[in-house]
Amino acid sequence: MRKAAEEFLRDAATKSADLAHRQIIRQGIDKYNEAFERGRARFFNWEAARQRCSEIKWEAVNHLDRYLVEFEERVKARGGHVFWAENAEEARAYITDLARRRGIRTIVKSKSMVAEEIHLARALEKEGIKVYETDLGEFIVQLRNEPPYHIVTPAMHLTRADISALFKEKLGGIDTEDPPELVAAARRWLRQTFFAAEMGISGVNFLVADSGMIAITTNEGNADLGMSLPRIHVALAGIEKVIPRLEDLAILWPVLATAGTGQPITCYNSLIGGPRGLNETDGPDEFHVILLDNGRSELLADAEQREVLHCIRCGACLNACPVFRSVGGHTYGTTYQGPIGSVLTPHLRGLDEFQHLSYASSLCGACTDACPVKIDLHHHLLHNRRNAVNEAHRPWTERIGFTLWRWMTMSAGRFALGGSIGRATLRGVYALGLESTVLDPLRPWTKVRAAPHIPSKSFRALWRKGIGTN
Amino acid sequence: MERTDNPSRAKILERIKAALSAPASPDVPQTYDPAFASVTDPIERFQRECSSNNTECVMTPSLAASADAISNVLSALPAGEIFVQDSLELRGMASAWTSHHIRWSSTVAEAGSTNKGPRETSQATITLAEALVALTGSVLVSAECGGRGAAFVAPVHIVVAKAGQLVPDLETAFARLKESGAAIRNSYLCLITGSSRTADIEKILVMGAHGPGRLVVTVALGTE
Amino acid sequence: MNSVNRFSCDFCDHVQTFYATRRRESLPAAGDQKPAQYKMKVALFIPCFVDQLMPDVGLDTVRVLRRLGFEIDFPNEQTCCGQPAFNSGYWNDARPLAERFVRVFRSADTVVCPSGSCTTMVRNFYPELLSGTALRDEAVQLGKRMFEFSEFLVKVARRTDVGATFPHRVAYHDACHALRELRLKQEPREILRHVRGLELVEMQYSEDCCGFGGTFATKFNMISAAMGEAKTASAAAVHADYLTSTDPSCLLHIDGILRRQNSPVRTLHLANILARTEIASECTPQAAASENAR
Repeated sequence: MRKAAEEFLRDAATKSADLAHRQIIRQGIDKYNEAFERGRARFFNWEAARQRCSEIKWEAVNHLDRYLVEFEERVKARGGHVFWAENAEEARAYITDLARRRGIRTIVKSKSMVAEEIHLARALEKEGIKVYETDLGEFIVQLRNEPPYHIVTPAMHLTRADISALFKEKLGGIDTEDPPELVAAARRWLRQTFFAAEMGISGVNFLVADSGMIAITTNEGNADLGMSLPRIHVALAGIEKVIPRLEDLAILWPVLATAGTGQPITCYNSLIGGPRGLNETDGPDEFHVILLDNGRSELLADAEQREVLHCIRCGACLNACPVFRSVGGHTYGTTYQGPIGSVLTPHLRGLDEFQHLSYASSLCGACTDACPVKIDLHHHLLHNRRNAVNEAHRPWTERIGFTLWRWMTMSAGRFALGGSIGRATLRGVYALGLESTVLDPLRPWTKVRAAPHIPSKSFRALWRKGIGTN
Repeated sequence: MERTDNPSRAKILERIKAALSAPASPDVPQTYDPAFASVTDPIERFQRECSSNNTECVMTPSLAASADAISNVLSALPAGEIFVQDSLELRGMASAWTSHHIRWSSTVAEAGSTNKGPRETSQATITLAEALVALTGSVLVSAECGGRGAAFVAPVHIVVAKAGQLVPDLETAFARLKESGAAIRNSYLCLITGSSRTADIEKILVMGAHGPGRLVVTVALGTE
Repeated sequence: MNSVNRFSCDFCDHVQTFYATRRRESLPAAGDQKPAQYKMKVALFIPCFVDQLMPDVGLDTVRVLRRLGFEIDFPNEQTCCGQPAFNSGYWNDARPLAERFVRVFRSADTVVCPSGSCTTMVRNFYPELLSGTALRDEAVQLGKRMFEFSEFLVKVARRTDVGATFPHRVAYHDACHALRELRLKQEPREILRHVRGLELVEMQYSEDCCGFGGTFATKFNMISAAMGEAKTASAAAVHADYLTSTDPSCLLHIDGILRRQNSPVRTLHLANILARTEIASECTPQAAASENAR
């Protein structure tokens, strides 16, 4: 088994057994569910909205080259720079290069999954540049030196007591568990950083092709401060983030907000088309957009799973997923967690190493129902599994097991005989009191649950004898 | 030496083109219901949404009355500096705002800086808007409305709007932006819905994260 | 794209039309003294693990259908629908099983199956699994005439009252395939509401997955158990005497968790409950099974 899979199993076992952790997550998800239900009710027709969003993304992704080029032309026409990065290394190199040449010492950063994906902060810190997360949840996990727990609410695994203790230790001069006071403390502390920073790095929610603008959504306003005060703004986006038209945002913004947090619309939806304009009061001197491939063009070539690139990173599938609720975001050990992470990561980082995420699902389908752009998430988990088998990434014991299973089930006679023998064996083992011991053939089952009652006769045997159905 | 080469660009575009040669099954666009019910009474809807999203919406009969309403808001704030977008209308209203020292957006920046935006010490900012949106109770601002920082730096952001700027929904707002060329002229636009907030701590909603904790919108009715 | 919504609508229409016509032809003419001789015939698909580990579910399914006047056929050649291999990614092993299944049931007008997941496999997944093969279209047609047990009762037999008595407090678990793939939510509840004496209670999180998920239950034991515990906690919170569902696989798993917790809550499949026509104080699968084996 690959290392990532082993770590996942180990962490999953620990977290599943952690009742306190499960309780915190449950409460967070319950709050989200209530808010989402209210949010969905505000739509005249939520299903119509999902359908429309799915069509917009289909159009964008299936004409990706056209829209990306259109976007790039318009950005450059207004004095912005567009850099196409093949992989994480190129993206990092561009940014660290830029920072070095401009003498950047301090960077403020708003939420960017792509920045996580390319491990940007680490690379910048190696250059001696201080990077400050400004989204409160990201700020908190940065202080704790851990990755975000959830793509929308990075600190949902922490209580106010945890955060209070953290601030007391790292920020000093704070002694409160009151959430408004904690928020105010973070605001005060980061204020000087916003004014001192020479570069602001942001993510991108949408690349708007017909306007050459990037769309960024926050509730806090941190991204906007980061692109008004510092003299350079760098925005990171996966190539799949493009949408055709400005007016597509009229439906995407409300849907993103509703699916993400249950709000009718997020507090700040900003559109940035370039550096500070000629007569504008403020804004950066330079505007750079990094378009990252890093495996996305390969996924694009997979016509069956291409729609996975429609994802708008709302986090709804994480909230819907019973596995996520049981093990939490850190257990996945990947940038993208939950159902979208399980579907996407094998494509970005290799099926052999990350197939286990696609298997760590009961295929309940809650994610597919939740997805606001109608990605068939749980069916793609199945597709990943099929690919893992066809590309021979599965253990040979399992392959033999299924070959044997097929042989048995292709004949009613063999099936019935095999079943009789199996049941007789189990009845014997359990009669000897060996349930859940190493001699128990069902030990993988009985490790965590009682063995089923093993009947002496199968249905087909009873049916044949005409027993018990009158 | 500036980095102007980007060999990956061609490679990525080539891969994309090749990838798309395998067409995905298109979802046939269906005839479907609109996502939102139409807004029948924009003023009422705007007010209702504002009270949901924590925007202080003040309806007034005229810009002069708006100026007075703003004066009331300002007098309750700590003394000091306010940042005001340098526009004809706001210049005309400024005589009502005597409680604070006004720094106009046109004021030359400190030496070595290109930032003429509000200073950290500002108690409030006052700007115009591009439009108001009834469906969500939102204010659409642009870089022309006093700059980017005007909507974010100070703890209170005050918007001076006119009833004629109110549009029913987002589609109309975008159409207006395109018509007026605001999207082309401005390097920055922002749709603001309520005051800055976060729920990152135990999913408890707290107002006033990095942006203003208070958003005040004065709407002068009966004006274009 | 998720096409299940649209599929279900077409499907419901098809069901209403086809079976309404059939039944009109088979009902006795008004004024007949003798009971109708013609009985509608249904074929039974008993999931592989029900056949081997929970025969009582099959037996009770037969009891209920016979009580409603259906004639039952059990094609002996049946074994498994292929889902275990399919879900694990072994499509090349599942495919011959699927083709065999289609052949075994090709002459059946109607197939009833006491399992949402097996019905889902045939109706929703056979078309993809068998795409490009000669039997694909036949599989699509088979999917239209195969029904999960409660779905059959409500939509085909048009019976929500099946003459059952079960005076206990019962909570219903929404099995994932039945809920999200077959779009069954009210149907099992409607039938349970008509059971005499039965008090149907709604659990919090009734739509959450129980954690079975096939091989997931053993490959990811700890997560499966955590999900199962959340389910048993929901049942305990409403003080249910019994937990029921359309899917015996869910119940096997939940029951295993309940027994380890020494919980007083018992599990019974929908068919087990609907088969009860007299007041019985003890209705455990063990009791039922030993009764049947005699």
